[in-house]
Amino acid sequence: MAFDWSRVLEVLRTSKATLDVKALLAQHLKLVGISLAAAVLIALPVGIMLTRPRFKRYLPKVMGVLNISQGIPSLAVVAIFLPLAGIGTFPSIMALTLYALLPIARNAIAGIDAIDASIIESARGMGMPALKVFWQIELPLALPVIISGIQTAAVVTVGTATIADLIGGGGLGRLIFTGLSFFEPELIFLGSALAAVIAIALDQLLGLVGKLLTTPRGE
Amino acid sequence: MEILQYFMKQWDRILEYTLNHAYLILIGILCSLVLWISVGIAVRNNSKSAGTILGVGSFLMSVPSISLYGILMVIPGLGLSRTSAVIGLVLYSMLPIVRNVYMALNGIDPSILEAARGMGMKPRYVLWKVQLPMALPIIFAGIRVALVMMVGTATLAVYIGEQNLGRLLTYGIERSRSDMIITGAIMVSLIAVLVDYLMEYLQRKLVSPGIMDYDKKPASGEVEYDGI
Repeated sequence: MAFDWSRVLEVLRTSKATLDVKALLAQHLKLVGISLAAAVLIALPVGIMLTRPRFKRYLPKVMGVLNISQGIPSLAVVAIFLPLAGIGTFPSIMALTLYALLPIARNAIAGIDAIDASIIESARGMGMPALKVFWQIELPLALPVIISGIQTAAVVTVGTATIADLIGGGGLGRLIFTGLSFFEPELIFLGSALAAVIAIALDQLLGLVGKLLTTPRGE
Repeated sequence: MEILQYFMKQWDRILEYTLNHAYLILIGILCSLVLWISVGIAVRNNSKSAGTILGVGSFLMSVPSISLYGILMVIPGLGLSRTSAVIGLVLYSMLPIVRNVYMALNGIDPSILEAARGMGMKPRYVLWKVQLPMALPIIFAGIRVALVMMVGTATLAVYIGEQNLGRLLTYGIERSRSDMIITGAIMVSLIAVLVDYLMEYLQRKLVSPGIMDYDKKPASGEVEYDGI
């Protein structure tokens, strides 16, 4: 298999109707952005609600299911949405959102659940109402774990979005799968490398946001 | 019912894919165990190099698996082969295993180590008789995370020439056959759950009962999960 670096640059520069790298990149970012935002908006409130006293007794079961669900491969989630929702951008976004929900919800629950009960008790003892305890004590303390859940979800979503091209999602997966079909290693490399760069950049960016939002703890 | 029919009709092919899947994971985890546990032990007293190695591990973890396979594919000498598939799996298991070995070996109560040394144990004996047995529950937790992830990642190895359960998923997508897709998804999830149970059993057999009582329950290892 001959690998030709100049071909990589050539594909990058020329924009054919089907393999416009810039358009595919934009499409990829759109898929990731929408799914990730939807997943955060759904998973955070649900995860937080499950840690409230009313639902707390279901927690071990929910965590058990979430732990096992880590083993479900991204390819299977994308594949399942084909018979359920068909082909196109919307089914892809649905699959990606569903897959990103799991790590976010899991970390939100784990982060809040791990807070020392005596801290919450002392806040209540000082007369803080439950809502204030949540916003001023629980959320700030759980934030690093919550952010790392979103980081995980972001990385997973960037990777899964390439696979979503199999059900018509478009994005960088188009480059990879076109390369696989016609056996052009340059296309495979380009798609893979761009996806890796996006994943790493997003991971670092979210890590930075987490660091800025977290209250520093003196030790 | 469609799925059951498909399963009955194609069971020999499904069996072949399942065995291939299991075989790839077996090779992957054996290589990872030998490599990453030794690395973890080697850097246990050197926080600087441990930091570097864990940094490399989390960098690798943030490369999407299909990208990693895509990049391995174009490396001359690897290309489409089982070697590339195994290398991908081994690279992904670096972070969970090395991190847990390192943290477990360093998390042991110093007074226990001092007692061991005080009894005249040589450093090598302290490592093999005290540190490793005590670190085992956490090391096991890391191996379990790595294994469950491997089961999922292995499905993507079909693009690098493997003939495993991922084939059912990709063929199913190409032909819009939901029975194939669902069979594949169920089989893969089943393997993941089975492997996890098997590890739990092994853990109960291998970990010294003294440590299990110490924590009241086997350390199921609340170790942060880092994605597939």
